[in-house]
Amino acid sequence: MTKDKLKKEEPPHIHIGFDKNELMLKTFLMMSIIALASIIVMGLDALIHIMIALGTVLIVHSTIYSYQVWKDIEPTYRSPASPMVAGMIVGLAMPIAAPFEVTAGVALLTILGFKYGQGKYFKRKYLNPAAASKVILLLVLSLKTLNEGLLFHTHHIDLDLMTATGLQSSMWIFSRETLPIIGFDLSPAQSLFLWQTHGWIGGASSIVVLIVGAIAAYWLRYKWRIIVSTLVTMTILAAGMGIYLNGDPILRIAFHVFTGSLIFLAFFMATEPQSTPMTNYGQYMFGFFLASLTFGLQLLNVLGGSIIALVILNVFTDQFDKIVIKKPYGHKGVKK
Amino acid sequence: MTTPKHFEEKGRFQMDISMKMGAEKKPFKILKPPKKAIVFMQQHIGKCNLPTVNEGEKVITGQKIGDAEGKMTVPVHSPITGVVEGIRKVYHPVLNCPDTAVIIRQEGEEGLMPLPSFDLNDRNEIIELTREAGIVGMGGAAFPTHVKLACKGVDTFIVNAKESDPNLVCDVRLMIEKPREVVSGIKLMAKALGARRIVFATRTHKGELPELEKIMKEGGIEVKRVRPSYSVGSEKLLVEELLGREVPSGTFPPYIGVVVNNISTAYALYKAAHLKEPVISRGMSFYSDKNGIENVWFRTGTMVGEVLGSLGYDIRKFDRLIIGSLMMGWSIPSSETPLLKYSAGLTALSPEYPKPYEKQLPCIRCGYCDSVCPVDIYPSLIMKEDKEKDVKALRRLKVMDCIECGLCSYVCPSHIRLTKHLWGGKRKAKRP
Ligand code: SF4
Ligand code: SF4
Repeated sequence: MTKDKLKKEEPPHIHIGFDKNELMLKTFLMMSIIALASIIVMGLDALIHIMIALGTVLIVHSTIYSYQVWKDIEPTYRSPASPMVAGMIVGLAMPIAAPFEVTAGVALLTILGFKYGQGKYFKRKYLNPAAASKVILLLVLSLKTLNEGLLFHTHHIDLDLMTATGLQSSMWIFSRETLPIIGFDLSPAQSLFLWQTHGWIGGASSIVVLIVGAIAAYWLRYKWRIIVSTLVTMTILAAGMGIYLNGDPILRIAFHVFTGSLIFLAFFMATEPQSTPMTNYGQYMFGFFLASLTFGLQLLNVLGGSIIALVILNVFTDQFDKIVIKKPYGHKGVKK
Repeated sequence: MTTPKHFEEKGRFQMDISMKMGAEKKPFKILKPPKKAIVFMQQHIGKCNLPTVNEGEKVITGQKIGDAEGKMTVPVHSPITGVVEGIRKVYHPVLNCPDTAVIIRQEGEEGLMPLPSFDLNDRNEIIELTREAGIVGMGGAAFPTHVKLACKGVDTFIVNAKESDPNLVCDVRLMIEKPREVVSGIKLMAKALGARRIVFATRTHKGELPELEKIMKEGGIEVKRVRPSYSVGSEKLLVEELLGREVPSGTFPPYIGVVVNNISTAYALYKAAHLKEPVISRGMSFYSDKNGIENVWFRTGTMVGEVLGSLGYDIRKFDRLIIGSLMMGWSIPSSETPLLKYSAGLTALSPEYPKPYEKQLPCIRCGYCDSVCPVDIYPSLIMKEDKEKDVKALRRLKVMDCIECGLCSYVCPSHIRLTKHLWGGKRKAKRP
């Protein structure tokens, strides 16, 4: 009897052949190019940060995976691809000046608390794991700063971004860069765009992030509307502020858009699929608010403004999805 | 014919259609009438037929064996000459549950009970002939064709020869083998509709079907080449693609003065009009992952197992038999399931063929499904609301506009079969 052997299945019966692991591995590959650029610009310390972050997540993942296999539990992640992406993001989202043990701590919190933990207890990642871990670190840091009687972290205490001269004089940190081999001295704006040895590891070369990020977003179909609206909003705000204060709009744009945090975050963190909106309008709005909030926090000198803004917006992701949806076919009102 | 390797879908996704390549060159293999035919009373969208024959009665090929009163009804005819063995409930491959069927055992000399004569110059008579011949949308929709032909105010008649499914080529084969007959059927349909414009939508390139194109030109039929895309094959999207006109939600193309029919349907009308033969046989593509595509001409009501046997296949080598295409067909629980008059394809997959949806992972909210959706709805959000049974949200997300193309599942990197949530969502949203 043949009928007993036949399987009853609903359509479809074919698949494009691209899966989640491939998406993660390709994302990792793209971020590796950025990591390489960062190591070239920032040196050995950048490599150590990245290796610490990757090593930490891989140790935790392997331990949990082995435990799950041993206990005959369905492994949360069958492949290390997704944890590796999380580790790489942690590595690239750390400031180069951070102590190595802090990087290990953030990586541990990311993989354990916000990757495995969120998935297990909330069935979904509502917060970007690396961003949420960094916010916790910032909270600890802020409490320490407040305890020392200071409102701002010592790194940011001298910054005055509310005036044109304030911005100009705060740029000393980006004014000592020289492009190696050709020996070209860079202005702060050029440094922010090409070669920064200060700030986030992942943003060491904004131009590399822009190119690699754009290729990755196209190739792997990231939520590009978030990237575009974040960068466009930030550019408009920065240019407007520059003009309003009679300052240098180019320097303003370079600072607000190309400081390591925003440019890397826009491509590789703000597009993290689980914690960001699904609808087209939701994504545009998300990017708009992300840039606006980041801009505001940057002006207020808040350390880690972009990452705080991202975590705040993650909380409202489901609300963004409810605002407006695009008109489907049949509702567009194309002429009869 | 230069079949492209891929169909291009929204969001830059591609669908591999390499299995179609060269298959249209394979002539139809005409299968012998089956020893036993199982003829369902329900083979159209609308009110179900009642048997017009009794157990033990002798029937002739082409004899009407089921009919009902009402506009949305289409009779069914005996595909073989023989004796009614029984009238029973049998598993229906589309309704997905047991349904009434007349079971006929082949006996005696094969003959044909011809259809009565109709005046082919009279619109109403063509419409009546279409109904009497049991013609429905043969591309798979099963919508009563006479109802479409009776629509008033139609300015454009589109002949859908696009054949979008990745493993079906029988329509293109029909265009190669029966060009004059197909055009004759198209002209009868156009006459019934009174349409000023006839558009023939094809994915073939200029000069590939020279004879057909010549006849089309002589007959004043406009040939439009449609871009290679799976989703554009759907009736509503084809109208937009060709005419730039949107079919409003909840309506059908005739609402905007357009009627779309498939070419197999046009050929069925030709046979009814000129050979006096109702729908008792048709062409389809049989695809197996072992041997690719073959084109087959079969009698309706033939059991799937018999088709495979006639083609020399060992049924035990397959673990999934699908009536229809790889994208839209349901697999059947038994090889004794019969083929219907709107079965354009049969697919047989071996145990080695991938089962891509066996291990579904949690949704990662990548939005791929939303990007590929040809009607611009959000399958990912619909899935969530279907799980949460939020009817209001399902309606807001316009679940009813889903055309069930399956593309969202096809691209999902978590291998989620979203289709079941779309059907579920539709059912919930329909409830008052
Ligand atoms: S494609 Fe799959 S994983 Fe991605 S959002 Fe849609 S259902 Fe979720
Ligand atoms: S099955 Fe429905 S929701 Fe999925 S892609 Fe097709 S039309 Fe869109």
